[in-house]
Amino acid sequence: MRLKHIAGLLSAAAMSVALAGGASAQQAVKIGVVFPLSGNAASAGVHGKAAIETAVEIINTGSGGLGNLPLTSNAGLKGLGGAKIEVVFADNQGSPAVGQNQALRLITEEKVVALAGAYQSGITLTASAIAEKYGIPFVNGESVAANLTERGFKWFFRVTPVASDFAKIYLEFLKDMKAGGIKTDNVAIVHENTEYGTSVASVITSVFKENGLSIALDIPYAANTTDVQSQVLQLKDKKPDVVIMVSYTSDAILYAKTMQALDYKPPMIIADNSGFSDPSFIKTAGKLTQGLFNRSSFAIGAKGTPTFLINEMYKKKSGGDDLDDTAARQMQGFFVLAEAIDRAGSTDPAKIQAALKATDLKPDQLIMGYKGVKFDDKGQNVLAAGLVIQLQDGENYVPVWPKQLAKTAPALPYKGW
Amino acid sequence: MRRFLWPTVALALIILYPLVFTTPFQQRLGALILLYAIAASAWNIVGGYAGQVSVGHVVFFGCGAYASMAAYSHFALPPMVGVPAGIAASVAIAAVIGVPTLRLSGHYFSMATIAVAELARLIVTNTEFLGAAVGLSGPTVPRTVFDLSFISALPYYYLFLTVLLITLGITWWMTNSRIGFYLRAIKDSERAARSLGAPASRVKLYAYMLSAGLTSVAGALYSMMFGFVDPESGLGILISVKMLIMAALGGAGLLFGPLVGAAILVPLEEISNNVLGGKGAGLTFVVYGAIIVIIARFQPGGILALINRLWAKHKPAEAPAAQGAPHAP
Repeated sequence: MRLKHIAGLLSAAAMSVALAGGASAQQAVKIGVVFPLSGNAASAGVHGKAAIETAVEIINTGSGGLGNLPLTSNAGLKGLGGAKIEVVFADNQGSPAVGQNQALRLITEEKVVALAGAYQSGITLTASAIAEKYGIPFVNGESVAANLTERGFKWFFRVTPVASDFAKIYLEFLKDMKAGGIKTDNVAIVHENTEYGTSVASVITSVFKENGLSIALDIPYAANTTDVQSQVLQLKDKKPDVVIMVSYTSDAILYAKTMQALDYKPPMIIADNSGFSDPSFIKTAGKLTQGLFNRSSFAIGAKGTPTFLINEMYKKKSGGDDLDDTAARQMQGFFVLAEAIDRAGSTDPAKIQAALKATDLKPDQLIMGYKGVKFDDKGQNVLAAGLVIQLQDGENYVPVWPKQLAKTAPALPYKGW
Repeated sequence: MRRFLWPTVALALIILYPLVFTTPFQQRLGALILLYAIAASAWNIVGGYAGQVSVGHVVFFGCGAYASMAAYSHFALPPMVGVPAGIAASVAIAAVIGVPTLRLSGHYFSMATIAVAELARLIVTNTEFLGAAVGLSGPTVPRTVFDLSFISALPYYYLFLTVLLITLGITWWMTNSRIGFYLRAIKDSERAARSLGAPASRVKLYAYMLSAGLTSVAGALYSMMFGFVDPESGLGILISVKMLIMAALGGAGLLFGPLVGAAILVPLEEISNNVLGGKGAGLTFVVYGAIIVIIARFQPGGILALINRLWAKHKPAEAPAAQGAPHAP
């Protein structure tokens, strides 16, 4: 008798374990995220991690109040019977090899249904290659290297705008300014001379040329330089109407200070994100560069707007830092992936891939200032866009263009200090 | 015949490993151990046997990696076609930089090799043909089997094992040849060796060139497996440091030292990253570094030297034969 009892209890226990196992497998949708959580890009990775965690919290609790943002009004993924999302983070250590190893581990050991990441373009390249081989969707929200979407991949999707999109933003902005009676004919580009500066400058030059606008002056310089007087004097001599600057942080600060020292104020400066968006630039040189234009695809927005509320949630996870453009793009990429999984109503990678291909999000369903999300055959979001922000009243960037996203009108001419 | 018993058993275990540990990650881990063992064994020829601590070996690693990727990117050839070019370039570079730098001794030689490696990284970063700062990628979808682009790590595992055996074979042959005896003499005291008529400069240069050629093969295999190389992953100084640490940890100047070092460090690095990496606090490197410090503190001669010593205590008569290579000092 006793043996029978024990056997009965054991089988009951076994059944409940089996059921519990089955139920939890049904519940959580596992997504792998590869970020640089150590190494020299760790800051970007750690902020990205906070952004993804914020997104997961929003999706899993579904407290609502975030406008038309998908997945926010009910707990979990509706299409999968309220299944929660579980994210497995992995550290790429700033190495393409480690990034690929971790992507493989997430796919084969953690059995994730999709991947996101991996910040550095080179690592996104190797990590997405392994996803392609295994047939797992890889959604990237932040890497801008052009070649990522030129590999004929079927499982790779990129939500972020790339250099040519930014060039178009500048072009449209300048056209608009010109229509308003501001002189924009004589454009100069000042750029640092490694990969970032050179490639962005050449893309801007070619996009402008295609649209009948030529770059009158092209000034490359070394980002680790300690003196930019000759470059500033060259600008002062040629008197361009618009100066476009592509710089990292320390050189951006150096330009701001040198311009003040040599008393040079161009009528308009447009900065290409990077150094000019760095909080340390704004703190050291923000007061010297009043009226500087910059690009961004994200604005925190007015109190009570969805982006404002999301930023409040994000600050709790990031230790008080505001959501910056890069972290916001990473978060947007993750939302796009989650929305596709929800719409697929399945964790089958092929169904998620099909759903991603059919993605058609409208501007009011996004946290970024994109015109929407829709992927072309190469997996690039064709509706990716950005907005122009301006440094006004001290140390704040405010959105000034395009009109529907602007908080105030662009202030011209450039004020400086 | 007893001296071949343990290496044979070890080889059998290594051949069987991926058939026992069958998950993709375990197989890949095995392949990575063998890959790093190839690089560290190549370094061992000049760093361990000749006692010339090169911290710039990544130059040769990069030569191999870039030659393979360039063969694919620019000429649409299978990456392995670039291997001979990579070896040729490495040996030529070794000859050119070896002549002046090998005259330097101790730290000065190490510093000179670091300078060369950093110079190479800067040049490649600004060379359009080599992909500049963006890097070069390999075939993402294999066109033929010759592209050596596999989903499973199994083919890589046996490919790397073959190359490792060839590398160790060459090393073994070298240590038992005239050059090997010269090298040992030079390592003990270069002045004494010279005074006895050993052609020190020439022998060191030969060892350097041989080591360079083999390192470039490791670089080529690396790039084929990962399908990508950029200045940081192909020419970053950390790769040289890794080769050095693996060889030193396992036992520099011992035939199987680098393999033992790789078999300890690679899993340690991967597993600590798997367990701790996602937490995002950089804990991986703390643990990884701490273990290296502990081993360096208590067993500076390397793990294999420790094993050999314990073995010698246990069975005094078998000891010298079992290790297959002379002791490091």
